[in-house]
Amino acid sequence: MEAGGSSESPADQPKRGKSKTPRKAKDSVLKQKSPAEFFAENKNIAGFDNPGKCLYTTVRELVENSLDSAESISELPVVEVTIEEIGKVKFNTMIGLVDRERVDEELYDDYETAKAREKRLAKEARNQEIQAKNAALGKKVKEPTPAKAMKGRGEASFYRVTCKDNGRGMPHDDIPNMFGRVLSGTKYGLRQTRGKFGLGAKMALIWSKMSTGLPIDISSSMRGQNYVSFCRLDIDIHRNIPHIHIHEKLEKKEEWHGAEIQVVIEGNWTTYRSKILHYMRQMAVITPYAQFIFKFVSDTSDKSMTIKFARRTDVMPPVPLETKHHPSSVDLLLIKRLITETSKQNILQFLQHEFVNISKAHAERLIGEMGPEFQPKMLIKSLTDQQIVRIHQLFRQAKFEDPIGDCLSPAGEYNLRLGIIKELHPDMVATYSGSAQVFEGHPFIVEAGVSLGGKDVKQGLNIFRFANRIPLLFEQGADVVTRTALKRINWSSYKINQMQDKIGVFVSIVSTKIPFKGTGKEYIGDDITEIATAVKYAIQQCCIQLKSKIVKKMQAREQQERKRNLSKYIPNAAGAVYDVLKEMAQSHALKKKRYEDEDATLLGKVSTRLITKDTLTEKLSQHVEQVDYEMALEFATQSGVSEEPREAIYIHSLDTKSDFIDFSNSIFCFRLTRERTINGTCWTL
Amino acid sequence: MAEKKKRRRADADDDDLPFKNRLKPDSVILQTLRSLTGSAATASSSSGAKTLTLADLALSSTCREVADLSLSSVQSSIESLILRIARSILGGDGFAFDVPSRSSANQLYVPELDRIVLKDKNTLRPFANVSSVRKSTITTRILQLIHQLCAKSIHVTKRDLFYTDVKLFQDQSQSDSVLDDVSCMLGCTRSSLNVIAAEKGVVVGRLIFSDNGDMIDCTKMGMGGKAIPPNIDRVGDMQSDALFILLVEKDAAYIRLAEDRFYNRFPCIIVTAKGQPDVATRLFLRKMKMELKLPVLALVDSDPYGLKILSVYGCGSKNMSYDSANLTTPDIKWLGIRPSDLDKYKIPEQCRLPMTEQDIKTGKDLLEEDFVKKNPGWVEELSLMVKTKQKAEIQALSTFGFQYLSEVYLPLKLQQQDWL
Repeated sequence: MEAGGSSESPADQPKRGKSKTPRKAKDSVLKQKSPAEFFAENKNIAGFDNPGKCLYTTVRELVENSLDSAESISELPVVEVTIEEIGKVKFNTMIGLVDRERVDEELYDDYETAKAREKRLAKEARNQEIQAKNAALGKKVKEPTPAKAMKGRGEASFYRVTCKDNGRGMPHDDIPNMFGRVLSGTKYGLRQTRGKFGLGAKMALIWSKMSTGLPIDISSSMRGQNYVSFCRLDIDIHRNIPHIHIHEKLEKKEEWHGAEIQVVIEGNWTTYRSKILHYMRQMAVITPYAQFIFKFVSDTSDKSMTIKFARRTDVMPPVPLETKHHPSSVDLLLIKRLITETSKQNILQFLQHEFVNISKAHAERLIGEMGPEFQPKMLIKSLTDQQIVRIHQLFRQAKFEDPIGDCLSPAGEYNLRLGIIKELHPDMVATYSGSAQVFEGHPFIVEAGVSLGGKDVKQGLNIFRFANRIPLLFEQGADVVTRTALKRINWSSYKINQMQDKIGVFVSIVSTKIPFKGTGKEYIGDDITEIATAVKYAIQQCCIQLKSKIVKKMQAREQQERKRNLSKYIPNAAGAVYDVLKEMAQSHALKKKRYEDEDATLLGKVSTRLITKDTLTEKLSQHVEQVDYEMALEFATQSGVSEEPREAIYIHSLDTKSDFIDFSNSIFCFRLTRERTINGTCWTL
Repeated sequence: MAEKKKRRRADADDDDLPFKNRLKPDSVILQTLRSLTGSAATASSSSGAKTLTLADLALSSTCREVADLSLSSVQSSIESLILRIARSILGGDGFAFDVPSRSSANQLYVPELDRIVLKDKNTLRPFANVSSVRKSTITTRILQLIHQLCAKSIHVTKRDLFYTDVKLFQDQSQSDSVLDDVSCMLGCTRSSLNVIAAEKGVVVGRLIFSDNGDMIDCTKMGMGGKAIPPNIDRVGDMQSDALFILLVEKDAAYIRLAEDRFYNRFPCIIVTAKGQPDVATRLFLRKMKMELKLPVLALVDSDPYGLKILSVYGCGSKNMSYDSANLTTPDIKWLGIRPSDLDKYKIPEQCRLPMTEQDIKTGKDLLEEDFVKKNPGWVEELSLMVKTKQKAEIQALSTFGFQYLSEVYLPLKLQQQDWL
């Protein structure tokens, strides 16, 4: 793609800057690199491969941050994403550059030489000739495809991406560090989170610096703050520190908490349009309790669009809890870090409190097992390296209870189901939520949904993958879900046609550590048996639920089509019988053959045309009608009046501030709303 | 002891073909074969006097068998059936066929007869039922077509029959299966319905017979041999100076033997049906066996399917069990390639194939079948196959040269009378 070309020139900037530094200190060849520099050079690691993907990843990171932020304060998320296309002229005025006309045309890459023009004209003439011929022959004339405007290397498109949410917001003083320092974040620790490394928003900033040189704008306000923080900053890549342009408190004009982030980057909407829309749609599936508004604004109005993904439920999964490490998942380095960070004094307390699934008695037994040099009251900070290795070895060999999954926050069967129904409108849907299982000391939960039919679903398998409630869109082929659905599920045994039916397969995996493959965090490998088995089981459970529904539907359809199916064959059968009768009648009339009395009268009727093909047809139709009536009666008495299962509908509350009490359990939720009337208070359901 | 000595010599010698030097001169082999055939002929002629039929056996369950019927009797039974149906339709009751079930539950292996027969279970095929409406309509249509054939007294192929109403039959397997149902229902053989299958089997070697009045000499039929005529009733006057009949599973092996004129070195008749045998080949083989009283030796692949094909020749297929009396050839000997031959003839590893899961399952299922169990030698060989999990095709012998089959393997087998 054009990625190589277009990203080269902006990438020069930091390089040039870098080359100056070593010149000053020539004596040392040894150089240090800041994390920001590393990621600027290897931005593909974070999903910033080419301008198109950069646009996609920027949207994705901002949306996920917004969701995390809103969920952390248990607020139903409202996220507004706007992508605004900026033309070259507009961009140049933005950065204060005067648009210059080309003078020396031959200097440019897209300059058309005389030879090339000749070739092009010849080709166009040929095309016209062919078309004229086709038109003369009365063939359908294809619209002549307008020759695509050659896009030169320097020709980049720029976009302003804005993401506004109703989340927690950020403390005024922390904002510069939260955006201007790579690998600093609030989401470290062992917990199920969408983001992990504190990279997303910063990578967007680095990319904007690389491609446009424009800073990032952040507005934020927290609950209870009477001002809005506004900050404009960019990042000093070499020192990995924020470079602040403006940092001020503004007057708060309306009641709002949350953050609004605006960044101008180079991108490619044409090629990544569908990916971004898919992402938004799948995000809406997995988070039906959020409301998304996606806008694309362009100068050409037909390209502009606004899509609203409405909220369908108030039930939000709980905030995932931070958990402690499981002994079998830690490595040597992690043990050392835990030792330096712990507030516990002795080894007994350390084992008991810094890990899950180690009780006091268990810890004592473990210490006993470590050898005579270990005492329960030993100071944890006094352990030698060898002793730490001994602990690590024991952790590897000893047996521990599996971690329970209560620190995880799966989307929930209810939400998954709602999301699927809301976005796909399928004919049938089944969901299943597995129990927590363990891979290398990290608990994980697999939830699955299988849908049939629906709008905007193509025939065959449509696979939707989610990891920690984020849609995965790339590298589908090698993913465990794709492989399982394609190879290990025998769809036909569930009366599902893998090629013809519109099958939607939704699998959501949540874990404290998702075992991603590759650098892009885009797929989960197929080589982990625990996950593969759990995925297969979950999909199968959904299929089993669907099968009974499908069978019922097929029976009902059979009922409806029985008469038609039977009647279809009447002419064939009647014709065949009549043909034989006619021949027999002929030979009977010619006295070739003798028939008995009853048969003789029948054949006589055939030859005198008292019995014709139509008589047989009519009699057979009558019989079919009677049988059909009897069977329909039987079916009705057996199955009773069947009804389609009803789906709950969600109605937006008109006034969010109205008083209410929820009585909820796992299946349903009653809401009593209090309305103030003149006479007093009135409770409605 | 002599065997051992020979083997040592064979190993020491660097002959171009392994085991070749163990072969005795052809005349010696012929001598042994001749004496054997003579005794076999006398034995079969003595036992031929008391060929068992179903009626001779006092079986607990009644069994269904069909017979060759004349055209007129087929026609009149169709007519009475149609009249019954017509009356039922006019009476407002629709109609239904009472068709003998050909499912595997309705099959019975009779050890005394050494073949599969059909039990007497019937299934009702009513018109006014979604699951059977298609089949009963096709049945009426087939009945009508056969009635036509009888009236005009002509033969058509199964393919012809299918093409008369492609729209209704949809696919040939449907009209074929209903055809078998019809012959079962009318109690006649499929040949009596005047419907034949396309030629599939070929025969070459020391056989002279008349086909529709023309005398055919199978030694003068070129390399490909004579196609086995589809209607056996036109075949007659069989003459032969052969010592045995060689039944070959595969076309490739057949061509090899035909080109090498194996039947001139050892007088024999070579037959193949190129895989699963059709009705015509089975009828032809039975006729040869019955009229010429020759031993039948089978050369099949060393895999479960080879044995299955052997069993179809021997005791009939489940699909056509209603006519097993006319279709089966008793007393077929398994000459090769047997699982024990793989080591005996030192077939190299690269020519053997590992058996798939499916193969092993088929093999194990076969071990449960009665026709395998009645022959202890076969059970032993099949158990060996399932145990070693290796199979080999006849072509595996080509490792030692393309002509190894005709030059060494078969002569040596015949010399040692190594068949089961």
